Amino acid sequence: MDTSATFKSQIRSAFYGYGLAILAVASALVITQSLKPTVFPTPLFFAAVVISTWFGGTGPGLTAIVLATLVLDLYFVSPVRGFAIRTADLPYLAQFVLPALLSGWFTKKRKDAETALKEARDHLDAKVQERTAQLLHSNEQLESEIAERKRAEEAVHKTQADLAHLTRVMTMSELATSIAHEVNQPLAAIVTNGAAGMRWLGAEPPNVERARDSMTRMISEGNRASEVIKRIRTLSKKASPHKAPLDINEVIQDVLALIGTELVKSRALLTCDLKPDMPRVTGDRVQLQQVLLNLIMNGIEAMADVSGRSRVLIIKSDVDDRGQVLVSVRDSGTGLDAQDLEKVFEAFYTTKTEGVGMGLSISRSIVEAHGGRLWASPNTGPGASFQFTLPTGEAA
Amino acid sequence: MKKIDPIVFVVDDDAAVRDAIKNLLESVGIQVQTFASGAEFMARTAAEAPGCLILDVRLPGMSGLEFQRELIAAGVEIPIIFITGHGDIPITVQAMKAGAVDFLTKPFREQELLDAIHKAVDRDRQRREQTADVAKLRQRYEELTPREREVMALVTRGLLNKQIAAELGASETTVKIHRGQVMRKMGAESLADLVRMADKLPNLSKGISRPS
Repeated sequence: MDTSATFKSQIRSAFYGYGLAILAVASALVITQSLKPTVFPTPLFFAAVVISTWFGGTGPGLTAIVLATLVLDLYFVSPVRGFAIRTADLPYLAQFVLPALLSGWFTKKRKDAETALKEARDHLDAKVQERTAQLLHSNEQLESEIAERKRAEEAVHKTQADLAHLTRVMTMSELATSIAHEVNQPLAAIVTNGAAGMRWLGAEPPNVERARDSMTRMISEGNRASEVIKRIRTLSKKASPHKAPLDINEVIQDVLALIGTELVKSRALLTCDLKPDMPRVTGDRVQLQQVLLNLIMNGIEAMADVSGRSRVLIIKSDVDDRGQVLVSVRDSGTGLDAQDLEKVFEAFYTTKTEGVGMGLSISRSIVEAHGGRLWASPNTGPGASFQFTLPTGEAA
Repeated sequence: MKKIDPIVFVVDDDAAVRDAIKNLLESVGIQVQTFASGAEFMARTAAEAPGCLILDVRLPGMSGLEFQRELIAAGVEIPIIFITGHGDIPITVQAMKAGAVDFLTKPFREQELLDAIHKAVDRDRQRREQTADVAKLRQRYEELTPREREVMALVTRGLLNKQIAAELGASETTVKIHRGQVMRKMGAESLADLVRMADKLPNLSKGISRPS
């Protein structure tokens, strides 16, 4: 019941206003009476009018004027104690009433202005509060947007990691035959040496020396097989990027150890020109292995159709003029057209019938995630070169 | 005939594997020579001893199958036992068609390898004996006079003395004498023996016979 509540409060304020007018005039009368005749009677009544108008409004102010006029007439205009207004008294009363009306009017104006100001201030406060609320709201929205974006970024990152793993797995399956060979060779040697060892022991008299030699070979071949397995494990591990200081030459050698038979099969000649004592880079070993594996396999594949000239793959590590680690993989394959130099890094771009076209695209994002750059350039001779840089030390 | 000890040649680019095979064969008293590539094998000094070649299918530069073809083209007749990491049927078929003795998948059972080696060495020995036999027959045949060669060709085609005499325009007695000479010079004990010898001399009938 809003309206009735405001009505009630209006009644109450009117009641207080008129009460105040009566009380003010009465007080003025009592004080003036008690001080008579030393004081001129009107000033305190002015004060009563001003107070009533200020606190009560127009109604109480006018009431106070009327009351004050009556009281002045009654108590201070002769003959004393009579309500009859004589013409002779009019100037005296007018001399009170007109200024009283004026001061009442000014007071009212002043009061109104003050009230308007106060209202304006209140309004401003409300506005500020409203704005603050709006700001808080948009802040919340922004925060949720940021969280959303973060989630999206994480999703992209995860997809990328998944894809990287996928191509790694695919390259792995291409290499599976080759790896099977790598493991099978030592196994064959172990089995054969084992059979030989049995025969040396079974001879008359037993040839212990040769039997021992056979076992030594078995042990060393067993270790060789387990080394191969260990390398496959590092390569196939699906780990989130784990950055650590590492020597790029070691990474290159990790990969070379795995592609040995792939090279033999492709009849490509590999030349390694690794600069000794390379500065360390901070990076994920497995990811960088993958980049190299991709570049090397691409180089080998680019040379598959080459005939009439030698198939040479040159892997080089160096430090560039900016002090960054620079690795290049140079092939003598079919080469790249100028317009394809950038295209090859696009996702799903492939010239191979079995490729998904993700290898170079992923390689580039891995290198860039390490703070480096990966690019392709044509050779002055036949073939193309792929090079990447990596910042050294903690910068990555 | 005194048997010469065989020699087994191993061509594999993996040092551990070829040394293991060498170790195994030595433990059963077989002489072994190892090579890292086909080219190294080709550069060996050929021996008189019978033997065989254990050849890895996957070799750097040239595959084992290509090397097999190269050997055949170069006239090197040595039985080949292929060894491979993974037995792939088309390759096996191709190798066997080209005359391989066996095709073993690594790691192989020692007995399999030893059996294959025995089979290959026997085959090589037989081939060598045969070659030696043919050479001996060829030498004897070279000692016949042209007339005797004509008689031998007609006799081994199953013609009677009378028919041969008519063919050559000679008397039957003359033919008999020639025939006796042929039997003696060739060291044949019977007509059947002589026919077998003629079979082993592939150019005989082609080079000498006349159209009848």
